[in-house]
Amino acid sequence: MTVILGYAATILIFFFTYNIFTLGLNIQFGYAGILNFTVITFMAVGGYVSAVLVMPHADTANGIYYILGLGLPWPIAALGGVLASGLLGLLIGQIALRRLRSDYLAIVTLATGTLLYGLAGNVTSMFDGWQGLFNVPQPFAGFRNWTPLGYSIFFVIMAGIIFGLLWLFANRLYKSPLGRVMRAVRDDQDVVEAFGKNTFRIRMTAMVIGCMYIGVGGVLTIAYITALSPAGWTTGETFVVWAALLVGGRANNLGAVVGSFLVAVVFNESTRYLPQMPSHPNLIPDIRYILIGLAVILTIWFRPQGVIPERKNTFYEVPLGKDVNAKPGQTSLEADLAKVGE
Amino acid sequence: MTVTDTELVRQGSDRTTEYALQVSDLRKSFGGVAAVNGATFGIEKGTITGLIGPNGAGKSTVVNLISGSITPDSGSVKLNGEDITGLEPHEIGRKGLIRTFQISREYPEMTVLENLIVSAKDNPGEKLFNVMFRPKLGKRRDAELVQKALETLLTFGLYPLRNEYAANLSGGQKRLLELSRAVMAEPTVLLLDEPMAGVNPALIEKLGEHIVELNQKFGTTFVLVEHNLEIVEKICSEVVVVALGATLAVGTMAELRKNKAVVDAYLGGDVHERVGS
Ligand SMILES: Nc1ncnc2c1ncn2[C@@H]1O[C@H](COP(=O)(O)OP(=O)(O)OP(=O)(O)O)[C@@H](O)[C@H]1O
Ligand SMILES: [Mg+2]
Repeated sequence: MTVILGYAATILIFFFTYNIFTLGLNIQFGYAGILNFTVITFMAVGGYVSAVLVMPHADTANGIYYILGLGLPWPIAALGGVLASGLLGLLIGQIALRRLRSDYLAIVTLATGTLLYGLAGNVTSMFDGWQGLFNVPQPFAGFRNWTPLGYSIFFVIMAGIIFGLLWLFANRLYKSPLGRVMRAVRDDQDVVEAFGKNTFRIRMTAMVIGCMYIGVGGVLTIAYITALSPAGWTTGETFVVWAALLVGGRANNLGAVVGSFLVAVVFNESTRYLPQMPSHPNLIPDIRYILIGLAVILTIWFRPQGVIPERKNTFYEVPLGKDVNAKPGQTSLEADLAKVGE
Repeated sequence: MTVTDTELVRQGSDRTTEYALQVSDLRKSFGGVAAVNGATFGIEKGTITGLIGPNGAGKSTVVNLISGSITPDSGSVKLNGEDITGLEPHEIGRKGLIRTFQISREYPEMTVLENLIVSAKDNPGEKLFNVMFRPKLGKRRDAELVQKALETLLTFGLYPLRNEYAANLSGGQKRLLELSRAVMAEPTVLLLDEPMAGVNPALIEKLGEHIVELNQKFGTTFVLVEHNLEIVEKICSEVVVVALGATLAVGTMAELRKNKAVVDAYLGGDVHERVGS
């Protein structure tokens, strides 16, 4: 029983963090049309920075190197990680969002991600290189005498609350005039610009908010797993998040959640039970990628808007106090349509 | 009557108070092509002015240069007497000059109503701070804008389609949408690049009426790039002819029809057929 509960808790935490990644990407791509092809880099930056803020000084005598090591309380460290993600988004945005069209932006993000991956791996003094960080203190671990299961359940609740807050804000943003103008930029940036709106600022806002979301996911990931190395954030992981969003339905936060459930939880967990083949240790992860690729192809083929497409937005209307049906040149169908709308 | 070069220059640079738009010696080359080559004209405040010329004359490029989509190699643009040359498109848009595009460009995945609401200026809800801490500001403004948009859609006959995705509109309906969307931004100068292209004659007439009405009601200055000379003659008090990237003549349609240079460059042999009597 304890094992099953522990497993369920782990899956739930995994699910919540993936939801947060897809929500972040949805704000960038689904709302504002930004092609961020290095989602996972922002996750890593959030995770790493929060870790080196919460960890004590690096034990260089034993060959462990990382920057800072400030031993800060977790909430402050977590905030630092999220801000670092946002800051990186701001920097990349400064290059990529200014003049470049969306396809160039995709390449800039991909290139930056690869660059930072190489840096994190090769510059050992930063985040302990390819070995990565481990023994990261867990949040509120010393709060009381947790049983392992008790701590997992506590973590589920914490991750759930954080996800819930981010979910509420993502939806508020979507419905707000800012979210609307982001979607307009997604649909036609030049027109928004011609209407006197600073599209650079609008896209930058979406970029930074999205990166901060992804950073939150990274902070939670490293806090739960207590370790992170470059092997855990390869380029392929970015496309798992993309797959989740595209399968679920972009520009719809419920779609983002459904997508991350299908792609990240169902595929990830079901492939776990495939029989291992010692001669082909990479077979299972490869099958997982193949399944995800198939899901994306099938979705784009049969349901290009995703499982849960973007919803049509309607507004509360005060009746105009005019005979809206009596327009000259209107067909009866149009008049009927107008009546239905009342 | 023809307008001499000196007169053009005078109109382009003097009497700042009366002109909504002054374009002086604007030049822009793409590689070897001098798309705009010394265009100079002034648009008087509160008028509807036509901008005509052969295909490839540089009309759309002039519109792009005025609205800041591209920066000129040389020359200047003044909006209400203020130099706006080289400003970002959104800065020019904020100053009240709104332009449309030759090919209609709606926001396809947003509804007709959303297309209008999102086009209004200065919605406090577009600021992140307000989204986070003062969401009511945006909501209140939205509620006003919904009603204003509905009124506008009613005027333009798009009311029954308000909750339809803009992508699903017909070509003519998209033209109506572009004009009604522009109304939401309350422009002082509206630059329309072929707003009647691909539109049936009845709707052309209707669009023309809308333009005249907006001009009279709000005093909006219109610049109308158009190949349909009938409607240009009907609603434009003055017409600027552009050929080979330069201003060829300025005058009323009737005057231009008697201008040999204009007839040769644009109106051609079938002038009477096209312009009517
Ligand atoms: N971005 C560009 N790059 C290269 N050449 C261009 C570009 N934009 C316009 N041109 C060229 O500049 C010239 C003027 O084009 P423009 O679109 O302004 O003409 P127009 O008067 O609007 O024509 P039409 O009536 O067909 O719309 C053309 O020769 C065109 O090929
Ligand atoms: Mg053109």
